Amino acid sequence: MIPNPFAVLGLPERPDLDDETVRTAWRAIAAATHPDRADGGDLARYTQASAAYAELRTPWSRSEAYADLVEQAWRTGRHDDYGLDPDGTEPLPAVPAATRLPHRAVSPLGLLLAAAWFPDRIRRGRPLRLLIRAALAAGLSLGVLALIPGQPAAPADVGLLITWFVLTGRRDLAPPPER
Amino acid sequence: MTTWSWIRLTAGLWLLRKAAKGTRWLLAFAVLIAAWPLTLIVLAGYLAACWRGWPAVRLRRVAVWTLTGTALWLIAQVIYHHAWRAAALTAVRAWEPGWPPRLAPLTAVRAFLLLAPATVPAGLGLAAAAWAWRKFAISAGLSGITASAPVKFDARQWRRQVRTAQGLTRAPGAVPLLARGGRIPVGGTIRTVGHRWDPVFSLPATALTRHMVIVGATGSGKTNLMIRLWAGWFTATLQAARAGRGNRPLLVVLDCKGGRDARDKADRTRRLLYGAGARRVAIWPDEARLSLWDLPAQDLAVLLYQMIDTGTGAAAYYADIMQAVLTLAVTAPGSPPDNAAAFLDRLEAKWLARAWNDGRHRREANLVHAAAGQLPDIQLRFATLLERLGPALDGPGTLADADAWYFILEGMREPSVAQAQAMALTELAAHAAAAADGEPRAILLAADDYSAVSGRVPLSNLYERGRSLGIGVQVSAQSWPGLGWDEDERYRIAATADGGIFVMHTPYPEPLTQLAGTRRVLETAHNLIGHHWGNGGTTRLQRASVADPDIIRRLDVGQACYIHHGAATFVQVARPKPSPLTLLPPPAQPTIRVPTPRDEPAAGPWPDSPPATPDLDDIFGPGTAP
Repeated sequence: MIPNPFAVLGLPERPDLDDETVRTAWRAIAAATHPDRADGGDLARYTQASAAYAELRTPWSRSEAYADLVEQAWRTGRHDDYGLDPDGTEPLPAVPAATRLPHRAVSPLGLLLAAAWFPDRIRRGRPLRLLIRAALAAGLSLGVLALIPGQPAAPADVGLLITWFVLTGRRDLAPPPER
Repeated sequence: MTTWSWIRLTAGLWLLRKAAKGTRWLLAFAVLIAAWPLTLIVLAGYLAACWRGWPAVRLRRVAVWTLTGTALWLIAQVIYHHAWRAAALTAVRAWEPGWPPRLAPLTAVRAFLLLAPATVPAGLGLAAAAWAWRKFAISAGLSGITASAPVKFDARQWRRQVRTAQGLTRAPGAVPLLARGGRIPVGGTIRTVGHRWDPVFSLPATALTRHMVIVGATGSGKTNLMIRLWAGWFTATLQAARAGRGNRPLLVVLDCKGGRDARDKADRTRRLLYGAGARRVAIWPDEARLSLWDLPAQDLAVLLYQMIDTGTGAAAYYADIMQAVLTLAVTAPGSPPDNAAAFLDRLEAKWLARAWNDGRHRREANLVHAAAGQLPDIQLRFATLLERLGPALDGPGTLADADAWYFILEGMREPSVAQAQAMALTELAAHAAAAADGEPRAILLAADDYSAVSGRVPLSNLYERGRSLGIGVQVSAQSWPGLGWDEDERYRIAATADGGIFVMHTPYPEPLTQLAGTRRVLETAHNLIGHHWGNGGTTRLQRASVADPDIIRRLDVGQACYIHHGAATFVQVARPKPSPLTLLPPPAQPTIRVPTPRDEPAAGPWPDSPPATPDLDDIFGPGTAP
């Protein structure tokens, strides 16, 4: 595993690079260092670049490599490198805070507490997407109410829009805490 | 019949056929136009399914969800009209202003909205049926323009399914560590064959309490999958324990390759588990120790014997002597040895003779006398072995001290040492599962790349022991050959994996995919005219693999095929991440208690007198022989 495959290919450390950018970077290095070149190339550099390309070839593997770098930065305290919030919670510290096993049961209070997490879940999720969805659902609902006011179909249409919003929007929330 | 009349008849029949066909199409077109609000929904649903690679069942489920709107609509109609009959005719009345379709956009939109509560579920249901038919027709060879249509269609759908699944895994709330009902989400579903389809593929936590096999080449994303499963199982089991529905979890991970990667992996696992509520995650041998000497005396003697290479043939004689000596040393009157130094002390003739020469163990005393010549050799071998094993098995510490243990065995660097360590650790795990005195725990024993250390304890043995003790065993290997020493053992391991088999990118998946079995498919053979299909052909029933090995060979990083109960699910595994809301204040000082090694005991207790057990002679005197 290469410590930083982005650096090997001379790419910015970002998970949203496209395939073509990565491939172009690799081809440029491969063309300059290939061992079949007349000057013998640079086998070590070529091998390293090929390995880095293998790690960054797909969007999925790029996000994996990026996540590894972020974790590494966190461990070494380099919060500023990736815009990490030192007071944040991810990645988690290496030691636990709790020292005893609490007994928990589902209760109305627990459900209320779960609801109280919502602002944080929105903030830590994808708030922009959620906002767009909410704006779309609200705009369409207003359109429905304006176009067919007082009709029985209006609340049903709004209900459909709310169903769509709930079913799709929940993925944009951060998951509730595990403990 | 003249030629001319025959030509006229033929042409007439041809025209009639074409006219009938044309009329059918025209009628269908007219119906589609007449029911334009429904047509729009059907078209939108069909195109969305095609573009996103959804299965038809997804459209059906959305249709069912939207029935809530329909119910609301009907209730509103009854309230609005104060009569059931009027409400029943609402759809017709709502359709009237929309017919004939007008160019006035507002009128059309209004008509669409008035009908939407009925047309949305109906349209989505019809779209599901149309999409299901399209997929069936293409795969069975009943549809498509060119002969390669089924292949291209399948490849295109796979790409779209992967894209959708990857998009889902990127959504922050789509794949948490634990889902409702104690299920462990794994990632976005790409495709299912025989399994129930859900956007996010998840396993019940009970699947990990049985036996599971994971096979994937280096770089296929196996580590992510395993860590996700461990964290999910731990979270589910801990929550069940908190709710009083089971025992506390004990996760035992054997990382059998070792090296620097293993430390990184251990660190990741530890942080995830702390996020899930673990109180202590011990990393062995770097930060924690265990005591091999806590095992019951008989088990300890057997284990020590197995840890040494004994050989066969003439060597079997010496093996028997060694086993006898070990039993004498460990089960000597008093208590078993509590550390390596005490044990080595016992392998001396003087110690053994004093221990067993109490007048009541003549057979054992004779054995000591007979084996006296071999004792220095045996002591030397064990001194070497225990020195190589290092102090990490010499205590103090037990498995019960932590919620999870991550054992790093240097199977690549020192295979023989790692093998002996693996034997000892699995024995300790088995003892923890069977111990009646301690707190009962739900145990998952996960062995990553176990083949690196499976020299003296075959994996199938590990499985069998796990089964008998009620602990879950999860085993991973890089390839099919890595699962066991011979084909028999590999099949035994894979065929007993009742928790399922995860196959990731690997060049030889056939033996594993065969376990998923086959399914019946229709295969249609057409006669070809150029590159296009003619009108003739045959259809026959064929069998195809449930888990296609060619797809598995082409799996990308992070993609896996889960085989269980003769069905398969292809999944895009999501990187395990704790919820960002799992707030843990950074502690001022590490709270992990790294046990300090115990002081070496003084020279072993030499038994210079008979055991302290009171005898009748001590109380009543020797008496007189009859």
